[in-house]
Amino acid sequence: MIVAGIDIGSRAAKGVILKDGRILTCFIGDTGPESVKTSEMVMAEMLKKTGLSLKDIDYVVATGYGRVLVPFANENVSEISAHARGVNYYFPSVRTILDMGGQDCKAISIDGKGQVTNFVMNDKCAGGTGRFLEMIAEVLNLPLTRIGDVSLESKSAISFNTICAVFAKTDAINNLRKGVAKSDILAGLHEAIATRCLNLLKRVSIQKDFSISGGISKNKGMVAKIKEKVGMEPLLSEDPQIIGALGAAIFATERLKGVETGGMKVNYGYSDGTGEYFISVDTAKCDGCNKCVTACPAGLFVVANDESGKPRAMVKEELRKKIATGCPGFRNCGQAVNCHSVCARDAIRHTW
Amino acid sequence: MEVKKAVGLDVGSQTTKAVVLDGTGILASAVITSGDDAEASAKAAIEQALQQTGLQFDSNLYITATGIGAKSVSFSHQQKGLTTCLARGLHHLLPSVQLAIDIGAESSTVVKLNERGKLSDYANHDKCAAGTGIFLQQMAKLMLMSLEEMSAHSFKAKNRADVTNTCAVFAESEVISHVHRVPPTPKEDIIAGIFYSVVSRIMTMCKRIGIKKDVAITGGVALNKGLVHVFEQEFGFALLVPESPQAVAALGAAIVSKETLEKGT
Repeated sequence: MIVAGIDIGSRAAKGVILKDGRILTCFIGDTGPESVKTSEMVMAEMLKKTGLSLKDIDYVVATGYGRVLVPFANENVSEISAHARGVNYYFPSVRTILDMGGQDCKAISIDGKGQVTNFVMNDKCAGGTGRFLEMIAEVLNLPLTRIGDVSLESKSAISFNTICAVFAKTDAINNLRKGVAKSDILAGLHEAIATRCLNLLKRVSIQKDFSISGGISKNKGMVAKIKEKVGMEPLLSEDPQIIGALGAAIFATERLKGVETGGMKVNYGYSDGTGEYFISVDTAKCDGCNKCVTACPAGLFVVANDESGKPRAMVKEELRKKIATGCPGFRNCGQAVNCHSVCARDAIRHTW
Repeated sequence: MEVKKAVGLDVGSQTTKAVVLDGTGILASAVITSGDDAEASAKAAIEQALQQTGLQFDSNLYITATGIGAKSVSFSHQQKGLTTCLARGLHHLLPSVQLAIDIGAESSTVVKLNERGKLSDYANHDKCAAGTGIFLQQMAKLMLMSLEEMSAHSFKAKNRADVTNTCAVFAESEVISHVHRVPPTPKEDIIAGIFYSVVSRIMTMCKRIGIKKDVAITGGVALNKGLVHVFEQEFGFALLVPESPQAVAALGAAIVSKETLEKGT
């Protein structure tokens, strides 16, 4: 059985081919402006390396930011599920994953089978993402691949009391002008991002073992700071950047074998400078009764089939990133009938 | 003995504002660009205001400082929070106001006033650049036009481009992709989207503390007519803009100085 996983991320595109559950080949390239062409290029590179042709591949699963734009994929899954499976492949003991990508950061809880039990994502603020590190590398005139190592040379880290990439950039420039060493500035910024990651991880509860995936986990300075904050040695796979694609390929295997997936807590929303705005739906409790859809005065909810094909309440994708604009939060809702009061199975939670 | 003059000072991240009061009202005011040294900027602002009156920077002043750099001004006599000063200044200028939106360079604040003009609630946002003056300046640079031009263009918009309101960095990427789209999104529509990004962010804060008429807008961004117009569309009524919207907190600080002086004698 030969299957493939394609992960089109915001900055990098990754692919993995599995043969009978073992990695045959993998590939990492840049995500260009055209995701369709990028995905075709990733597949072509892998086929070239293995001497296979597309019709030899039994099933293809796509994941990542550009997952719907992979024309030859049989199916797509969320990158959260894909990372869970991918990490589980290497380390079945892992229960908590931090996935640090180019434009987002996610904390994921998983069980021993690599199924997601809870997750939280921040993709609405550049602080704590790869984009932040790119901006800083640019300001300090260092290649992105070097900044982690340089940060480890620091003797006394500058403290940054901001998570905003724009403000941090201004602070970094001011410090450079004052003659502060680049290593001290970088150590401070890595510290600030690690703190942010820790806060995200706390929302899903941190349990042993711990792993980091995504491109940023190749940054040694970042990994060292996160290890210090979390207080646990992260288990790192050989190439943590291909974890998403690997997980997608594992999904492809499962689809061919017909494996079922279980329930999880899904968090919709974001955190930014003003606070944390998340609505969580426990898909193990939710039965897709549709009552929250009519009850919410802001019209946030929709019932649709989840990845296992069961109807579940979800926050509308177009509103997920504007969640606090429409909804004043559970405490301030002021409606006698709201999503909490109508949910007989108590599956919905607000953080604000 | 000559009576002490009441002075209010607002040391912001980009501009420093000073207001001098006498018995009857505002004697003089100044708005200058903040330098690296907050204390020097503060002194320069007060001196510039005093120049208009022929007075000297001497011991005959009672200074209340507010704003992000207030702590760095060693010669001030007391410090007061920005929200209190905003409430005081605004109530003096526009007594009917019950909700005030202040958009500064690196922060935005929404202040709720009770019928007597006292601060009753506020929401403040200073942890990220989204929804602040810096965000608008960054966007102006990206659109290759001045803020005044942006304001003028925004009135021509037929649609509103989607621009995120939670992150200035991601908003920048979105604006760039609007510009390079084939065909490109009309620039006035992009500007409308940029303005809405700021407005919707701040509307969230207004909703959190409750909207009550009249509503005023202060801070440097209040001079942007296009942005104020977007706010008015959201609220569904006109906003009040004080005459020098940048100096409202400094005026409030000066009023606090005056009250302290009156209590003291």
